[in-house]
Amino acid sequence: MTTSKKIVLLGHFGVGKSSLIRRFVENTFSEDYKVTIGVHISKKTIDTPDKKTISLIIWDLEGHDDVEKNRASYLMGTHGFIYVFDASRPVTFENLEDQLLILKTKYPNIPVKVVANKTDLVKKTEINQYNDIFKPLVDFYTSAKTGSKVDLLFSKLANELI
Amino acid sequence: MTQEEKLSIIKEILLTDEREFSASIDQKLQTLEDTINKRKNLAEKIDPLINDKIERFVKDIPKTLGPSITQALKEEIKNSQDAVVEALFPILGKMVKRFVQHEMKLLSEKINNQLNKAFSFKRFFGRTKSKIKGVKDADLILQESSNTNIEQIIIIEKGSGIVLAEHSKTKTIDEDMVAGMLTAIKSFVEDAFKKEKQDLQYIEYELYHIHLQNFSSYYIAVIVSGAYNVLYKDLLENRLLDFASKHITSQALKDKIKLTQKTQDYFKKYDNI
Repeated sequence: MTTSKKIVLLGHFGVGKSSLIRRFVENTFSEDYKVTIGVHISKKTIDTPDKKTISLIIWDLEGHDDVEKNRASYLMGTHGFIYVFDASRPVTFENLEDQLLILKTKYPNIPVKVVANKTDLVKKTEINQYNDIFKPLVDFYTSAKTGSKVDLLFSKLANELI
Repeated sequence: MTQEEKLSIIKEILLTDEREFSASIDQKLQTLEDTINKRKNLAEKIDPLINDKIERFVKDIPKTLGPSITQALKEEIKNSQDAVVEALFPILGKMVKRFVQHEMKLLSEKINNQLNKAFSFKRFFGRTKSKIKGVKDADLILQESSNTNIEQIIIIEKGSGIVLAEHSKTKTIDEDMVAGMLTAIKSFVEDAFKKEKQDLQYIEYELYHIHLQNFSSYYIAVIVSGAYNVLYKDLLENRLLDFASKHITSQALKDKIKLTQKTQDYFKKYDNI
């Protein structure tokens, strides 16, 4: 029996939300940037370690610098959030703490995974200089381009949802 | 007769005419002043002249101004085609719509007339059915001749868009994706209209009609091919309400397998509802 779960990706414009989904669902990557307008829905079925099948219905929302600017009805009934920022652009994680606080307040029981994407564009030393922000908040350092940690991110979240 | 009397007679003879002439001049001046200064009098005199002039001017417009106006209009339209199209588009749209509606009405009336002329037991019962249902006879004929089919039924959780149960004859679409997208469209439309407690009820997609029956925590999307009209909508609604009242409880919504089975069992016998 397959269980379906709704996953919503949030974050600023151009942080790689759609690319992460494409890498996870189709295992492809494109350098061409196509802005997401409204919402795009994808689906991928995965098997969990305890032999359960879970169908992830992934809602890719258009980017906003503030989660409150997203259409509230798109966030209704979400089982898990993925908050994505671009590790190479500080402007996309400057308000990270506030954004996570809003999510925690409005959706107290919904798991949130925080993702630093585009790690292929930054050196480890550059990441280290933001450790004050990253260490306590970031769950995964991913690259949609190389595929690094993308599957792990979704499968970890899926396991939490069962 | 004294000298003075003689002079007086001569004066009388000489000046009488002058005085009369002067008086007549005064009279004419007075009349003229009255005509010029009093609007009513002036209008009486001038209006026919102006009317005559205007009449002649209007008559001459096509000859004198016509060509230059036509030329100016042609130039203006040529130079601002986009603006003209923009202005005419909605009007033309409305005209076309009205025309189509009118033609459809004519078609419907024609069918009704033909039916009135024709007599058969089948139509007799058909007419009785249409009267009971309160639906036009023509619609009933169209309904009967059309091939309306339920392609897929999806019970969807409001908000999340998660599929709670599904039934389809031939699996052609991914119900999870459709359910998610329908929910997103519903949310968008319902938010955009900013009206509380109003639901999107229907979506048309090429040959398919997606009927959305809304309930409190879930909604049922029925994908229908063929003619979807008021009569069909009515039947479908009755069927869905009956199904919901008999089989859907808050407990049933939690068990996808059982609910899917119930949906299949219930709707299997209603290919054409």
